[in-house]
Amino acid sequence: MSGGIYALISVGLALIFGVVGLVNFAHGEFLMLAMYIAYWIYNKGGLDPYQSLPVNLIVMAVIGFLIFKLIMERVLDSDHSIQMLLTLALSMVLQNVALILWKADYRSIRIPMTNSSTNMGFLTLNTPRLLAFVIAIGASVLLYLYLQKTFTGAAMRAISQNGKAAQLMGINIKKTYMLAFVIGTVLVGLAGLLLSPIYPAFPLVGANFSTLAFIVVVLGGLSSVPGAIIGGLVIGVIESFAGYFAGAAYQQAAYFLLFILVLVFKPNGLFGKKA
Amino acid sequence: MKSLNLIFRRNLVMWIIAAASLAVPFFLPNRYFQDIAIMTFLWAGLSASWNLYSGYSKRLSIGHAAFMGIGAYSSSLLYLNFGISPWLGMLVGGVIAAGAALLIGGTTLRLKGTFFVLSTIAFAEILKVFATTSRNLTGGALGVMVPFKPGLQNMMWDGKIPYSVLMWAYMIVVLFLCAWLEQSKLGFQLVALGENQEAAENLGVNSTKSMLSAFVISAVLTSFGGTLFVQYILFIEPSSVMSMSHSVQFILLAIAGGMGTAFGPMVGSFILTPVSTLLRGYLSGVNGLHGLVLGLVLIAVILFRPDGILPQLKIFFRRLLKKGK
Repeated sequence: MSGGIYALISVGLALIFGVVGLVNFAHGEFLMLAMYIAYWIYNKGGLDPYQSLPVNLIVMAVIGFLIFKLIMERVLDSDHSIQMLLTLALSMVLQNVALILWKADYRSIRIPMTNSSTNMGFLTLNTPRLLAFVIAIGASVLLYLYLQKTFTGAAMRAISQNGKAAQLMGINIKKTYMLAFVIGTVLVGLAGLLLSPIYPAFPLVGANFSTLAFIVVVLGGLSSVPGAIIGGLVIGVIESFAGYFAGAAYQQAAYFLLFILVLVFKPNGLFGKKA
Repeated sequence: MKSLNLIFRRNLVMWIIAAASLAVPFFLPNRYFQDIAIMTFLWAGLSASWNLYSGYSKRLSIGHAAFMGIGAYSSSLLYLNFGISPWLGMLVGGVIAAGAALLIGGTTLRLKGTFFVLSTIAFAEILKVFATTSRNLTGGALGVMVPFKPGLQNMMWDGKIPYSVLMWAYMIVVLFLCAWLEQSKLGFQLVALGENQEAAENLGVNSTKSMLSAFVISAVLTSFGGTLFVQYILFIEPSSVMSMSHSVQFILLAIAGGMGTAFGPMVGSFILTPVSTLLRGYLSGVNGLHGLVLGLVLIAVILFRPDGILPQLKIFFRRLLKKGK
């Protein structure tokens, strides 16, 4: 079930990488921020994460916009290593901001729904997990449709295929970059929000999920959105199987191993196009 | 002899600063400040080891802390289980790190930029999981305590001064290797590969061979640093020694000083390590504040001085020397 969330986190990462060409090491920190925002609204205003969804997503969009304008825009033409270092530094800043604002404690949201379950005839599922799965997959598919069917979506795909040619065709490249970055941020924010009733928020929570998202994205072919969706589901399944058969400690080792194997034997990802 | 001449002549001022820094711990008033000096030397050495591969070739390894972990665990486990002196253990750790670097480098060095970076993270994470789960060997998540028995053969001392000399020597060795690399064929090949891999290969650079040799040297030096680290701290646990934040620390110091220059990491560490330690002391009221400040400094350096502080410093010294004449 966690596969849906992984897919949603990874889709944002794949979009940002594919369109903007940015390897965003701060992606997990956006997830963490959204979880804290959900917690904050719940704690101060008493709204559960689902009710605070619009506010949360708007805040995430604003954060994404500001970070793009203030920081990312300046390094769009720089070396890859410089961009990576910058997002690494950004993640450090965001983690420490969270540590200052919310301390290192685990903050979890306990709404009545947390422990309720839904009976679906042949199997019974924990309601927030089910909701998370359905919404996450729904949002990922929506993004895919957006990329396929709308003009701006087509512009994004064009840029990810050939930036210079797209620019010559009259696509406003900076605007599209910004849009892709903001959409990616909002999507990972949505993932954080869906995660908040089932998983506690703490300053380093993003780090776990972002390494995972990187694996998913590589598995799916780095810049491919459908690849990221399927990759997320695959990792979710592998994780639960490895946890069941080999013990929880080897869960991580299992997917890192898979990751290296994919890198060595199919560097374009399971679903990636030939370079 | 000609090469030796080059190594020292080119960075004369920096060599003088590096040599003179040995005297600093002797004048520091108490153990707290001496501790800062020791860590400054150690971090300078570690960051320079990282820089030796990643800085020159522009291929970031964010998993270098894994090699530090290899060094730390090899020497202390050999010492605890078989009573082998850490000096020998350090060499064994170096051999293991070289083996690991060959294995991981052989499979991942041919990967393009982003993929290589991600695979170094994966490597470090796998090793961390291994160190955490194999409880019989490494003590698992609880870590390993090294009992304190001062003596030269145990690489432990009562006072801080011997440690500072040791760390200083480590830093000098790494710096010397970097400066040697800068004027060697391997160094030029690395820089060329970092600038444009296809062009370099067309000109006859064996990219696998030169990258692998630099990667192995860098890994071995990092593992030596790991041994020194554990001999000073006397405690290791996987989640701290092999953490990504250690790897990021190497990178932070190198980029602040100047990536891909022999003395950049030293300058970075001489400035940032004391500042960040002192900040941690002064800002201890608010958890995370010093990390925030460091992160902001890093962002500012990358945005406004992507070449680091060293080039600025060099211009300053050149002006100073001219005025003197």
